[in-house]
Parts: sequence; structure tokens; C-alpha cells
Amino acid sequence: MNRIDSSPGQLRRIATLGIRGCLLAIGLTLVFSQVQRPAALVDVWLPWAEIGILALAMTAVILCGGIDLSVGSTVALCGVVLGITLQWQWPLTFALAATAGCGLCAGAFNGGLVAIGLSPLVATLATMAFYRGLAMTLSGRERFAGFPDSLRSWQTVAGIPLHFFCFVSVGLATWILIHHTRLGRWCYVIGDNRTAARFAAVPDRRVDLSLYTLNGIAAALVAVLHAIDENVAIPDAFRGAELQVIACVVVGGTLITGGEGGVLRTLIGIGIVTHLEIGLRFLSYRFPLLTPNSRLIVIGLLVILVAIWNQRLQRGSDNA
Amino acid sequence: MADTAVSPLLELHQIRRTFPGVVALERVSFQLLPGEVHALVGENGAGKSTLINILSGVLQPDEGQIELLGSPIVLANPVEARQRGIVAVHQEAELFPTLSVAENMALESGLPVNKFGLVQWRQVAAVAANAMSQLGPSWRPDTPAAELSVAHRQMAQVAAAIEQQVRVLILDEPTSSLSRREAEWLFSCVEALKKNGTGIIYISHRQDEIFDLADRITVLRDGQHIWTRPVDQVDSNGLVVAMVGRSVETERARPDPAHPHVAPPELPPRLRVKGLRSGQANSQPVDLQVAPGEIVGLYGLIGSGRTEFAQTLFGLTPAVDGTIAVDGITHTIRNPRDALAAKIAYVPEDRLREGICRHLTVRANLVLSSLSRWTRHGLASLARERQTSSDMVRQLAVRHRTIEQPIRQLSGGNQQKIVVGRSLLTRPQILVLDEPTRGVDVGAKSEIHQMLRNLADQGQAILMISSELPEVMAHTDRIVVFQEGGVSGEFDPSSASASDVAEAAFPSGSGQLLTQTTKTPARNKLRLHMPVAQWGLACVVLLLASWLWISTPNFDPWMQLTHATVWIILGLAASSVIIAGGIDISIGSLLALSAASAAFVLRLDYPAVVTIPAAILMAASVGIAGGLANGALSLVGRVHPIVVTLGTMTIYRGLVIMLLGGRPATDLPSLFIWLAEPQSGFHGAVLGTAFLACAVYIWLQHTRSGRHIFALGSSPTAARLVGISGTRTWLLAFAVGGGLAGLAGALQLAISGQMQSRLGSGWELGAIAVAVIGGVSIQGGRGSVLGVILGALLLRLVTSAIVRWGIAGEHVDLLIGGMILAAVLCELGWQYIQTRVRFGWSQRSSK
Repeated sequence: MNRIDSSPGQLRRIATLGIRGCLLAIGLTLVFSQVQRPAALVDVWLPWAEIGILALAMTAVILCGGIDLSVGSTVALCGVVLGITLQWQWPLTFALAATAGCGLCAGAFNGGLVAIGLSPLVATLATMAFYRGLAMTLSGRERFAGFPDSLRSWQTVAGIPLHFFCFVSVGLATWILIHHTRLGRWCYVIGDNRTAARFAAVPDRRVDLSLYTLNGIAAALVAVLHAIDENVAIPDAFRGAELQVIACVVVGGTLITGGEGGVLRTLIGIGIVTHLEIGLRFLSYRFPLLTPNSRLIVIGLLVILVAIWNQRLQRGSDNA
Repeated sequence: MADTAVSPLLELHQIRRTFPGVVALERVSFQLLPGEVHALVGENGAGKSTLINILSGVLQPDEGQIELLGSPIVLANPVEARQRGIVAVHQEAELFPTLSVAENMALESGLPVNKFGLVQWRQVAAVAANAMSQLGPSWRPDTPAAELSVAHRQMAQVAAAIEQQVRVLILDEPTSSLSRREAEWLFSCVEALKKNGTGIIYISHRQDEIFDLADRITVLRDGQHIWTRPVDQVDSNGLVVAMVGRSVETERARPDPAHPHVAPPELPPRLRVKGLRSGQANSQPVDLQVAPGEIVGLYGLIGSGRTEFAQTLFGLTPAVDGTIAVDGITHTIRNPRDALAAKIAYVPEDRLREGICRHLTVRANLVLSSLSRWTRHGLASLARERQTSSDMVRQLAVRHRTIEQPIRQLSGGNQQKIVVGRSLLTRPQILVLDEPTRGVDVGAKSEIHQMLRNLADQGQAILMISSELPEVMAHTDRIVVFQEGGVSGEFDPSSASASDVAEAAFPSGSGQLLTQTTKTPARNKLRLHMPVAQWGLACVVLLLASWLWISTPNFDPWMQLTHATVWIILGLAASSVIIAGGIDISIGSLLALSAASAAFVLRLDYPAVVTIPAAILMAASVGIAGGLANGALSLVGRVHPIVVTLGTMTIYRGLVIMLLGGRPATDLPSLFIWLAEPQSGFHGAVLGTAFLACAVYIWLQHTRSGRHIFALGSSPTAARLVGISGTRTWLLAFAVGGGLAGLAGALQLAISGQMQSRLGSGWELGAIAVAVIGGVSIQGGRGSVLGVILGALLLRLVTSAIVRWGIAGEHVDLLIGGMILAAVLCELGWQYIQTRVRFGWSQRSSK
């Protein structure tokens, strides 16, 4: 097949791939040139596995033209629910079920708001404040520490952190969901052209509802993982996590307006953001000028620039 | 002929305009005399709209020249056209829904300002009152435009045009939604304008109006000028023939004799529709039967109810009344999925908007409606999808490279085939196609017609909607003509003449005008008067304040006010962006960044008299710069501002931390703190905020740029049409928002006396809460300074009350979240109710 397409759109696409490869390479080099004890990397990666799970779930939401700004708050709320129920001496299974139920309800509420016609940005901005407030109120700003050993014992399974298994299985699950089910197909259609989807008998509101609900359940899973790992649930946890999550999805190459993207891209995005962040943190030990918080600037810039670049890329290919 | 002694007011020479693949106007010349009513007639797609758009500056001609009063002019945009006195009143009037009718009228010609740059509201009101006095006593110039019915919007535009003393008035289907009395008012206006020497271009499908009003008639067909004649040299029949064209008679090919179009009578009809009524305003019950193997053409003008009928059949708009039976079994169809289950498929009219997903592959577009057929155990099968797609693509003879290429790379005709193929894959018994050959080249056209005939031969019932008479005459077995929401005739194409069919489609008698006067319904009953809502808010604030005052031993009102000032200014910052239709969630970080830079200036080794003004200036300019960056980035990337500001939020926060170097700044000049301290007795914070609020109030309510912010948020399209620069106004809103956030930062610095790196984190939510509680619409275009002040006071007092009730302070977060949620939901519910009241409960809301 001689399909060496040299249209400007194709060139830009290659450039995008190149940029992404470079970013990933920079991140990996930064990390591996700095790290002294590779085994220590596991601990550094664990929190990012949590962000990664959230990013994978968010991919479906963004593909379908939505966004969920309330993920961080949802995780905190679920963590508080887990902490409270365990404090009430609930059996572990019940407590976990309550946590999952909390995530499900929070997600379904978001989905419901979007389905009745609110803009996803505004709806989840409101619930972001609301869920955080709920977490604060329920906990009385207290942290919950000292989870039972029955929960803590899951920290590693066969010597490998539980985070790893969860990340892999969520990755697999979202890959199947997005690329191999009817719901996944509908995501792309709705994200590309919601009107056409409606005219083609796609139940767009039901799709919204299920995607946000799944996102809420993923948040609950992350809350449990976080509790297992840190042995503490804080109502203030995951503040600002929505940016990191969205960063992973967008930097990977999924369009912020939906309709184009996928799980593999998000995995690449997770790789880039994670390693840039960790690498910069390592660097800041050596260069005091690079305060740990300069990482925020890098991620913020990355999101804006990549989002704009992707958008331009798509509009460029429109004319092709 | 028209008397040649009068020189023409407006002249078009050899205007040509093409769109990709279509010639919309082919060397059309046109002449308008002063004091003349010139009717422009033609079928849908004849080029009338393009001509009007060129005249009103919306489109530019590719070739040709426009002359006004003998001198050539270029109309680069609608504003220029307006300035030259050419005004178009469109069928769908573009107005600013949240602004008053009076302001809408004034914005069309530019708001009048006095020498201080303040809007002269008296003049605006006087002009509007003058125009409205002609319309009747029920009109109030201060009614928000959103509350007007479509008819009243049009009337308001005509009234505004009369006030403006226009040279050329273009009326596009002005009577389509007017009652008889309103239409008579319009006709008298037209007569009055004629006497003043205004030239009027009149577009209508109603023949009696044309013959009553017009002096001359110009017929367009397929983008070409057919003829222009004085009205007394034209009769009704000749007009129809000219519009439809002789080509109908010649091109007409009767159905193949091999396919007798009448189905054997013993076969039950495939589709039987009884008394079906769509939610459209003028819809009438429709009865229709289609036999297996029959192709029925639905002919009619746009708005005649044929598309509405088809969409009701397909469940896109719920039916008000009537039954649908397929093969004798009655189905209830509430949504498209029900329709597909009943074996009814629909190919939409607007391919790009309603048909295809441009960026997805041919395969994805094809299997879209029939995904459940290729899904086993919940898993989709790419192999099966590919197999089916390849088969279908071959069957339809789609010219393509691979089924995995994006559909946008295909030609229009091939895209259309994919959309038809998608419907076929659902295995329908009844196929409804809405304008299946629009924008399709000749070759694909005949292929589509052949395909429909083949499908019919396999026993499917086919309904084809078309605006092209030759097409329905040649390719259907029966023609059902729609007019004004109902069926106006049925014809056999092999025996009926084209002009008979056309005659049935074009409304002729004025008896067709809506008989009852259209009303702007329930205007005063349901309207939420902004002042009323604010009075309510004010009462709540006062009650809460007095209760706190009485029940709290050491309640200090100045203290409460001082602490509310930051919320007031930050709320105003959020509002100025939200009113323009954007949102800025970086203002919390921006506040911190400004405060940090102010603290940096304050700690410099200079006398306090120098550093304090410098610090305030610094805070404001940092804020303005940050706001501008937000606005510019969202413009450049065309990304929603929430995404951009989510990014800049962290960037600004990171800068704060770098600036502070991780340590809080405490050693601020005592004079600076004294200025804002409530105990000092000077109350600088309250005074300063009062001054600032007044300034913002004057800017938003009484200057042009402030009103343009409202206009942009209210309707970006309408703003463009009246010549408001979207870019500049958008940037201004963000800059002001940023500047106010910066000043709030300086104020917070003075009140708290120290600067921490976490200052203001999460405050953007509080600011948005203040704005929405104060009545700022989250969708833009509405809000007031007083409301924001009341919202800030409420937030502050509730916070104090929570402490007073002995509940811990963490509930404030819940409160803020709950308030935003409640306010946003209220607005949504309110809109829902208003839409339902205005358009009747049967019709779904537009969004």
C-alpha cells in the first residue's frame, strides 16, 4: 500500500505523535537519570496509579463530550464514607459496599444533572463544591486513621501492590468498554455529533447517565485504594486532582470536546504526566529554585497548550 | 414597464455567488426603485435567501456589483449595510433575549451616548415608546425580548426599522407567523414606508399578498433570474409556472410501466397513520396510508409541516394526537428507538448536522443505528461490523477508498448513501427520507432514485420528502402535498399536472392566516421581575442581619460588612465574566497572585505613602494581565474558558508559591492594615468597595462597553449582526474580572494583615455562588451589581449565623456547593417552565 499521505493534516498528526514521544522520553529520562534506587519508584508510582484509574474512567466521559470536575471531591467523599462506616464498626464488606454506593450515587447525580440539560462543566463544578462540602460536613474536618488490618492486608497481593492490579484491570475494563462495546461506540458518536446521534436512535441521555455513574464508581475504587495505601482518609484529599486527571486524558491526545481519542492515548498521557511530575520533583531536590510547586505550572501549561494544539489539529483536518 | 424617469434606489449587477459545489446565484441583476414594493418569489433553494444575505452584508458576492443611489458600494458586514440604511427583517428574528425590547431596538443602530460616554437611556426609551405606540397599548418597551412571541419579535423589528428611517427594507416571509390583524398592521406600515420613498423587498409564498402589495415581481429559479414584471402583467398561473419551471413537463418521466404504482387492494397498508398531529404550532391531523412497494412523495414548502410529520412519525418529536400502525399493528412511538422497533427508519434532512458524524469512519457511521445486531454477549464485533459495512458499501456503490476512512472525505452523494445505508441496516419496512438528494450531484441523484425503486420492489413502503417538484413528479407513485401544517391534496403523478401540484403547495387565500391573534402568553403572570427577586433577597439579608444583631451580644455590623467586601468584589469579578457568557475559575488563584505581588511591593524599603498606592496598582494590573491571558487563551484555542482557567488556576497558584518562597508574608506596613481594619473607625475597606461597586454599576449599566458585555452574553450571533466586536468585548470582560479579583486580593491582604500561599484557594466557587445567588444567569446576559452585593452579604451573614448556631465552620463548603447547585437548577427549571408556557406543553424545549 503506498499511502504516504503528505497532506498538511497528516504532517501535523505525525508532529503530534513526535511531540508526545519526546515528552514521554523527557519524562522517563528525568526520572531514571535521577532515581538512585529503582525499587523506590514503586512508592512514587502508587499515587499516580490512583490518578491513572481516574483518568481511564474520565476518558469515556470526555470522549462523549462531557467532563467531570467533581472527581477529586467524589474520591474524598467516598473516603470519608469508608472512614465513617468503619468507625461505626460496620463489617468490612458493608463498609466497602457503602463506599461503592456513595461513588455510584455521586456519579449518577452528576449524570442526571447532565442528562436533564445542564452543561457538564457547570453541573460538575457545582457538585465539586457540593461533594467537598459533604465530605467536610460528614467528617467534621476530621481525618479517619487506623483502618482494620483486614483492609490493610490487601496492600500487596503476592508481593505486588494492589494498585498495580487495579490499574491494569481498570485499564483493561475501560479498553473493552470504549473499544469493544455498544456503549463505547455510542460515546464516540455522541461526542462527535450529538444531534446526529439522536437522529440515529442513540439513547444519549442514558449514555451520559451510565458514563458518569461509572466514573463515580471508579472514584470510589480510588478512595478505597487510597485508604489502604495511606491508612488514612482525609476529607481534604484529592483537591485539584481533576486537573491532573484531565491533564492525563488531554495530553494523551483525546479531544477535550469529545469524539476522538481512546484508552491507549490516555495510557500514554498518564505516562507523560506522571514522569514529568516525578522527574521535576526529583530535580527540585537539587535545584532549590524549582520549588515542588513549580510542577503545578508545568502541568497547567501542558494542559492548555495541548488542548489548544489538539483543537487546532482537528480544525485543520476539517478542511482536508 | 416601470417608469424610467425615477433613478433606481438600489441596483444589483450580475451578482454571482457560489457555495462549495453549488451555484446559489448565477449572474442575477435586480433593481429596486424608491417607494416601490418589489416581490421576490421562487421555490425553496431558488436563491432568495442568498440574495437577501448579500444585500444585508451577511454574505459577499463572488462577482458583480451593488449600487446604492447610483454609486457602487461594498457591504462587508451587516453593520455597514445597516449604516447605509439597508435593513433586513428575517423570518427567525435574531434578538438579545435577556435585554429589553427598547435596548434591542437601540443596539441595532448603536446605543446613543452623551459626551461623558454614558448611555442616554431616556432617548432609548423615548424612541422605543414612539415605535411601540403604533403597535398597541399592550406593548411595554421594558419587556425582555425573550418573552415576546415570534410574531411580536418580527413586529418589534419592523417598528424599529420604521423608526430608523431606512432606505431599503427587506421583509422575509413577514406574515408567516402573524395573525390577520397583525398582518394588516404590517401592510399599513408598508404603505406608509412606500409614501416616504423607502424601497421594500418583499418575500412571501402567499400569492394574494404579493398581488395586493407588490408593484413589481421578480422570479428566481435555481439561482437564475427568470423575469421581472409589473404586477398587472402577471397572473397567478403564470407565476407558478415561472417558479416551478417548464422543465417539470419535459423532464417528467412517469413510473416505469413495469411497476404499477397501485398496490393490489387486498394487501393491508404497510403504514397507516390516523389523525397524527405533531407539536408544531399550526399542525393539523394527518391521515396517510402507504402500501407495500409504494413510493409516496411528500411535497410542500419548508415549514409546511412535512418534516415535522416525518419527525413525529420517527419519534423525534412526540405526537400530540393520533395513531401509527405498521402492518396493521398499532405502535406507540415515543422516541426513535420505538420507531426502529416498529420498523420505521428516517433519513434526516440536514446531512451535516443531523446525519453524519464527520470525524468517524465510514464503518462507524454505517452501523450506528443497528449496533445491537452486531453485539454478542455485550461485546461488539469489529469483524462482523466490517463485513456488513463492506457488503452495504458495495451494494450501494459508494465510491470510497476504505471503510475505515473518515466519512468527511467522501463526496456529498456518497455520504448520503451511507446515511441511507445506516437506515437500511436496521431492516426497516417503512423508510422515510427527508430531502435525500439535496446537495448531491446528478450521478448520485439518479443512483439514489434507482435504489429507492429497488427497495420498493422488495416490498418496502417509502416516503420521500422533497422540495423539488420535478423529482417528486418523476420518481414517486403518489404525491401528497403539505401546506400550512396539514395535507392539502393528493395527486397521481402520471395524470396530474405540475402546476396543479404546485398550486396546492403554495398558500393562496389570506384565510390561511392564523385566525386568532397571537399572544405573548402569560407575560405578566409568570415573569420574574428582577427587582422583585432582589427585594426578596434584600428582605432575607435584613431579617438575618437583625436576628444576628439581636441574638449576638457582640455583633459588629462594620466587621460583618468589612468581611463581606472581599466577597462583593470577587463576586463582581466572577459576574463580569459570566455575564459575557464565559466563566473564570482562576480568580481565586488570581486573587492570591495579586495579593502576593502587592505584599512584595509593600515590603520594599520605601515610605508607606509610596508603597501602598503602588501595591494597589500592582494588584490591579497583575489581575488584569491574568484575566487577559485567560480570555486570550480561550479565544486562541477556541477551548471552553473553564478548561483554560482550570489550567491557569494552577499556574497562578504555582507562581504564588514561587513568589512567597514558601513563607507567609506578615510584616506589612501598619498604615495599610489600618486602612481596612474595622476597629480603626476609618472603614477604608467598606468605603473603597462602595466606590468600586458604584464604578462597576455605572460601567455595566450606563456605558456602551458595559452593555456590549450583556449583549455578547445574551446572544453572540445577534451581537455579531449589530457589529459588536466579540473579541474585544470578551477580552474586556476577562480583563475587568481579573482586575477586580486583583483588587479583592489587595483588600484581603489589608484585612487579614498577612499573606499565605493558600489564600483564596477554592474562593472561585464562593464567588460564583455569590454571583448566581445574586441573580446572574450562568448562561450569560443577565445580572446586576445590587444582586451581587446582596448575594455577598447573604453568604457572609449565613457564615456568621452558622457559627452563631454553634455548627462548625466546615458547613460553609456544603453551603456554597448547595447554593450554586440550587441556583443553577432553579434557572434550568425556570427556563423549562417558561419554554413550556410559551410554546405549549406539547413541544420539547429547543435545547
